[in-house]
Amino acid sequence: MHFAGVDIGSTMTKIVVIDTDGKLVSAIKGPTGPEHRRLANEVMKTALEQARLQLDDISYVVATGYGRLNVPFADRQITELTCHARGVSSLFPNVRTAIDIGGQDAKCLKINNGKLVDFVMNDKCAAGTGRFLEVVAATLGIKLEDMGAISLRSTRKVPISNFCTIFAQQEVVSHLSEGKKVEDIIAGLHDALASRVAALALRLKVEPDVVLTGGVAKNAGIVEAMKENLGGELLVPEDPLLTGAMGAALLAKELSSAAIAKGEPVPVEPRRLDKTTFFK
Amino acid sequence: MPDRSKGLSRAREIYLNRSQRARQLKAQGKKVLGYPCVYVPLEIITALDFVPYRTCGDIKEPVTEADRALPTAFCPVMRSCLDCALKAKDDFLDGVVTTHSCDPQEKTSHVWESYIEYPYFHFIDVPGTVRPESVEYYKGQLDDFRKTLESFVGKELSTDRLKAAIGLYNQQRSLVRELYELTKSAPPLISGTEIVEVVKALMSLPVSEGNELLAEVISEVKERTDGPERKPARLFVWTASLDDVDIMQMLEARANVVIDDSCGGLRAYRTDVKLADDPLDGLAHYYLEEITCARTFREATIGETSKDYAKDLQSRFGYLRRFIKEWNVNGVILLLVRYCDPFAFEMPALKDYFDSLGIPSTYIEYDYTRGALAPLRTRVEAFIETIA
Repeated sequence: MHFAGVDIGSTMTKIVVIDTDGKLVSAIKGPTGPEHRRLANEVMKTALEQARLQLDDISYVVATGYGRLNVPFADRQITELTCHARGVSSLFPNVRTAIDIGGQDAKCLKINNGKLVDFVMNDKCAAGTGRFLEVVAATLGIKLEDMGAISLRSTRKVPISNFCTIFAQQEVVSHLSEGKKVEDIIAGLHDALASRVAALALRLKVEPDVVLTGGVAKNAGIVEAMKENLGGELLVPEDPLLTGAMGAALLAKELSSAAIAKGEPVPVEPRRLDKTTFFK
Repeated sequence: MPDRSKGLSRAREIYLNRSQRARQLKAQGKKVLGYPCVYVPLEIITALDFVPYRTCGDIKEPVTEADRALPTAFCPVMRSCLDCALKAKDDFLDGVVTTHSCDPQEKTSHVWESYIEYPYFHFIDVPGTVRPESVEYYKGQLDDFRKTLESFVGKELSTDRLKAAIGLYNQQRSLVRELYELTKSAPPLISGTEIVEVVKALMSLPVSEGNELLAEVISEVKERTDGPERKPARLFVWTASLDDVDIMQMLEARANVVIDDSCGGLRAYRTDVKLADDPLDGLAHYYLEEITCARTFREATIGETSKDYAKDLQSRFGYLRRFIKEWNVNGVILLLVRYCDPFAFEMPALKDYFDSLGIPSTYIEYDYTRGALAPLRTRVEAFIETIA
């Protein structure tokens, strides 16, 4: 028996397939794009190919993330907050606080014994999210994935005072025209983002172990800036993008066992890898 | 098949087309007074033979006209309310009565008065605390209001008529409370969404017609077999005002909203006006002390150098304990409107209060537009996943 977690984020779609022992069988990441309603099935096909499985081999599918309602082959939708909490706990059993910085939102989760107990999310604003870094990388003409390494070369961080993505971008341009070094500007931006997210996290009580996840956690400069702003150690999973999908897969496994114990059919309904359509 | 001219169907019809009855009454020669806030004593309006009509914003209408009169980073409800007024949506009104229930409403009132000419416009000042001298001052404000309205209509307000109006509104309050008794069961017999429709209908009708509607709704709901489904959570919603079903429907997709403290819900009906020898005493006490809006501060003790936080929490929020217990609530939604300072300032203390009761609570914020609902849905669902 196998179980799948499908995490459709605003920027990236992630799928994790696990087996009965909870062991990872396949993990796929791809851009979500504007067509995610039609692409979830394609990403799932790739994940199944990698795992050498058929859809019928999957007994339960949990969909999560921003696009969770657009996964027609899912048996259940669960929010990314619950899934992240579960996924992070499977990797770090002592986690009490998880901070996830994604493409369009940042969230802080309080976790107790592997269960989500409280959370905060940023409010409808790009400041403190991956989008903030994307916009600035484009302005600076550098690749998003290079930002972390470049910022670590900084010797004199340029303070960025604006939290608003648009105003911060203007501030970056004015620093460039003053001849400030790119690495110092990026280091300043990372600090601005980290202080914004840390302020969000401090609305809840931040207790160790603290884990940082989400695409932005791949940026080494952000990880350092977050450590500084939170004043403590920070754990980062090997692949910080996959925790939501991992949690969804683990919850799929639990839900499947619970359904079987109650004598309910698994999968809940016959499934096909259809595209989502607005017309029934 | 329910009778569509009665009860819940009729409430929904009025909710969807709420000015219909006021326009009819206007055509028959009645005078209609608009009011945007719960702190306007409708008893005085009714006793002088006016029809009170609550002026609301419209969550579905993009704010355009109000931009020329109000700042953009400002209470979106008042912005929408003024926008609707500038667009002449309620062009049948003979006058408007506003209050200083919060600064945005006070500022908006003056703009409102200067941009639109009404035959009658009156502003009531409302003190921010419930100290004895505040109640006295507020009573003076109500007396001023009475006098201007008397001179506008050209007749005097008799004590007997005012007492009779208080009686009718107390009857409405007790009927609304009776309706909320029907959400105590699991599943509740009436949904939070339906309650929003009924209460908004009450704010669109003369008091006696509202009372008839309530009686119909109550007898229909008691007998119904098509009530709400049982959901994994029973929620209490605390908010400034809920005048549209969209948010309620979003909450009720995963939960039963069984009780609230909201304009557009129970707030205006929680207790009765006490009949005093001078009815204005009863009204001043009721509106200032009994209406539980975050704009009024209720400290436990006055004049002490060191405050007891737990006592203050009890004094400010103690009335909520009964809601949690009697309605068997297992989660609290603190729903903030963006830029609403009075409710935002209250929130940390209120969260502490619910923590002290051992009840999980979460806060969500929206900007009084429908576009804000998708990210809120994730928060609400995640909250329900943690409590259910």
